[in-house]
Amino acid sequence: MLPDDPLVRRAADPVTVTLTVNDRPARITVETRTSLADALREELGLTGTHVACEQGVCGACTVEVDGEAVRACLLLAVQVEGAEVRTVEGLAAPDERLHPVQQAFTDHHALQCGFCTPGLLMTVHRLLAERQGVDEAEVRTVVSGHLCRCTGYQGIVDAVLHADRTWDRPVVSTDSLPPRQR
Amino acid sequence: MISVRDADANPSLGARLPRFEDARLLRGRGAFTADVPPPNCLHVAFVRSPHPHALIEDVDVGRAGSAPGVVSVLTAADLPHVPLVDAVAVPGLVKTPQSALAGERVRFVGEAVAVVLAESRALAEDVAELVEVRYTALPPVVDPETATTLPPLDPVLTSNEVYHGERATPGLEEAFAAADHVVSGRFTTGRLTAAPMEGRACSATFDPVAGTMTVRCSTQSPHLLQRKIACCLGMDLVAVRVLVDDVGGGFGQKIPASPEEIAVALAARAVGRPVLWVEDRRENIVAGPQGKEQRVELALALDADGTFRALRCDVLGDAGAYSFNSASALIEAYLAAGLLPGAYRIPETGWRVRSVLTTKAPIAPYRGVGWTSGHTARELLIDRAARLLGRDPVDLRRQNLVRPGDLPYTTPTGMTYDSGSHLATLERAAKLVDAANVVPGPTADGYYRGVGISPYVEPSGWGSAGAGESSWSFASHDSVRVEMAASGAVTAVVGTPSQGQGHTTSLAQVVASVLTCDPRRVRVVTGDSASTPLSTAGTRASRVATVIGGALLLASERLAAKLALVAGHLLGIDPGEISFRDGRAVAPAGSLGLAEIATAAVADPAVRAALPEPDLTATAFYDPPATYSNGCVAVVVDVDAGTGRVDVVDAAVVEDCGTVINPMIVDGQTLGAFAQGVGAALYEDAGYGGDGSPHATTFGDYLLPTARCLPRVALEHRESPAPHTRGGIKGMGESAMIATPGAVACAVAAAVAPLGITVTHTPIRPHELVAPTAD
Repeated sequence: MLPDDPLVRRAADPVTVTLTVNDRPARITVETRTSLADALREELGLTGTHVACEQGVCGACTVEVDGEAVRACLLLAVQVEGAEVRTVEGLAAPDERLHPVQQAFTDHHALQCGFCTPGLLMTVHRLLAERQGVDEAEVRTVVSGHLCRCTGYQGIVDAVLHADRTWDRPVVSTDSLPPRQR
Repeated sequence: MISVRDADANPSLGARLPRFEDARLLRGRGAFTADVPPPNCLHVAFVRSPHPHALIEDVDVGRAGSAPGVVSVLTAADLPHVPLVDAVAVPGLVKTPQSALAGERVRFVGEAVAVVLAESRALAEDVAELVEVRYTALPPVVDPETATTLPPLDPVLTSNEVYHGERATPGLEEAFAAADHVVSGRFTTGRLTAAPMEGRACSATFDPVAGTMTVRCSTQSPHLLQRKIACCLGMDLVAVRVLVDDVGGGFGQKIPASPEEIAVALAARAVGRPVLWVEDRRENIVAGPQGKEQRVELALALDADGTFRALRCDVLGDAGAYSFNSASALIEAYLAAGLLPGAYRIPETGWRVRSVLTTKAPIAPYRGVGWTSGHTARELLIDRAARLLGRDPVDLRRQNLVRPGDLPYTTPTGMTYDSGSHLATLERAAKLVDAANVVPGPTADGYYRGVGISPYVEPSGWGSAGAGESSWSFASHDSVRVEMAASGAVTAVVGTPSQGQGHTTSLAQVVASVLTCDPRRVRVVTGDSASTPLSTAGTRASRVATVIGGALLLASERLAAKLALVAGHLLGIDPGEISFRDGRAVAPAGSLGLAEIATAAVADPAVRAALPEPDLTATAFYDPPATYSNGCVAVVVDVDAGTGRVDVVDAAVVEDCGTVINPMIVDGQTLGAFAQGVGAALYEDAGYGGDGSPHATTFGDYLLPTARCLPRVALEHRESPAPHTRGGIKGMGESAMIATPGAVACAVAAAVAPLGITVTHTPIRPHELVAPTAD
């Protein structure tokens, strides 16, 4: 589309969005077409959320919106009006102690360049917030929603299995996902 | 198996120490290029060619240039500069220059034609669509086999063949004539792209008063980029400063200076405002450098008992549109031929190597470079020979591998394997996947099973000599600086950025091993061409551990000698009596902590009076001799002959990279390269259609392996320290990417051989494996 197209002009209209990010109130003014990922990075300076494919394949931009892990590149910022958003910057404790999922990632060498890591952390955080007693097949299925080019995933899988044991949390569900289809 | 020592008890080489960089990256506090935009910067969108080959008749920026929020639209005519050109000096290589923006002719889909500078990236992209480029299409050059029959892509060429070389050992023909068996084959490897999760990114700020250019870039080679920018823009080397903090993966793609990076610097100078370019995934896949496309024809001469006598190859590499700038058109085919014998004793070899230009994205190094394709072809051929001779593939390899008694072993292609564990790693990898008990062919549960064994040699840790044995001699040395503050904390300054390899940790371990201090007291600083000592080649060729590691050992020893002088003075003894233990200078007369010594060196007038230069800074230069890592990858696959689906069900890598600095990091490099190798064998394909358009443009069609595509890999280490490098360190980052595609391809070939299907190409496509139906 072209900049003088009326639709583009409307897409570029500024809109104010009020939301909660990492437990703090936030108010941003963005173009209608601005993705949540870009808004977090550019309006709020939360550059831990990375953008790697901008089409929902790689998962690098995953954040939590109202308790769900979502692709921030596929959501417009205007869609999260009133929502609670958590990003990688909001995982560690206020005293900077690493979250057990983060700790497991470093203990198991689950990151190398660290570009895909924030998105993975958010997905794994959400998975383990809801599930306890995960097995390797289930973890591989969930992690397969993310692309990592460095690690070959083995360290990530080990980190998730480890965090499942070390993260002291209220049990939500121990039901397993359906078994992996070969 | 190396012992994994407790890091707290023993901080020296070999500790499985968690990485220092993780604390930052896990909290989202990385500093990738897009995270640090220069103040008041303009955003770039490139106008790119939709044609594989066309003349540019006219670029009309009229409507685009006047759009609100647009500062400038620049074409090649607006940005005169010295074009990029292949830096490699190999006799016979014809070099074609590549401009930052195409001016008269485009030579691949995605080549940049104009650069739009606007107040936001979104606006720049909108406006890029308003730039009207009028092209006259020319025929694409797609098939490397027929490239020479088409008109040359560049006026400097008489043919699209930019390199042709032939070489043979004197006894080659005789060996073939006397052979009991000759097995031959033709193998091809498809185009791949490195696909780092962070694409290329670059910002530039020009200071017209000082006449300086500051560039921040996602690069593996800041000093090399500095040279290229200075050369292309006609600036003095020291007027160009290249910064790099975190890099989201490189795998070779970020070694060369990209034309876009030159364009960004040119644009910043032209408009007088900082400029930021962050490519999107489509740009990275289509217009970023690619790798691996080769056709390899091989013939192996064997004795009746299976002894390898001679190997001949004819390698054709598809270099893409340009004989590329700081990488080379030769990075594929030429290197494949050099490593032709691999881990085997093959007395006679011969090669013909050709590299041709086509209308595709130019090639650059991608992990394993040309070695991957040659290795894959050779291993498939050896399996074919084993089947023809009725031999067990492991046993045929065992018979011909370099044996301990052969070392040092010089190949007929001129590489001298300094040390290694070729047989031991083969045996162990085969054992780990229970290769002896895998029966190739149909399984009880309806699949076709096969095992693939792929012993490798990695020419690693390139200093200038290693580069010379593998390819062509170029400057591949490093300098480093190590300094101790009055607190006893150490700073190690190096010119090689990390793209995820964990240098901040492993290099600290190297320094700490000499000073016997806690590695956490060593801060590794890099990422600024203006303040780090020169790294001529940057982070590439699995060289940092060997070259930078060796230089740091040397600099740390020099620093320790200076500490001993101060400590000797303080203790009133001969410095020669002092040794270092647990972070203390120790002598029979007493001991001192590093902080005590360092404080005295800075502040104690008596020390200054007694010692002429009590400074605690040491530098070192290192250009190591060639060294070679080795190991073996083994995989077991199940093929579904109904759908062509391949599952890698078991895998093992036994690697030997000499002295291990941090086994955890070695594991990570191995697993990551293994995954890339599985991708290369089964999924990834950056191929082009007959019309010259790229098939893959997104992660929806360039398929990276996911966690579900990969088995748990059994990893083991052997340590054969390099006899000639400092610390015995070899490089290892590419090993599994050299050997894994061959392992997977051999396993699939073994599995489907009973169906009458042969494997001659990677990636192996599902439809090639579906058993023919009786219809």
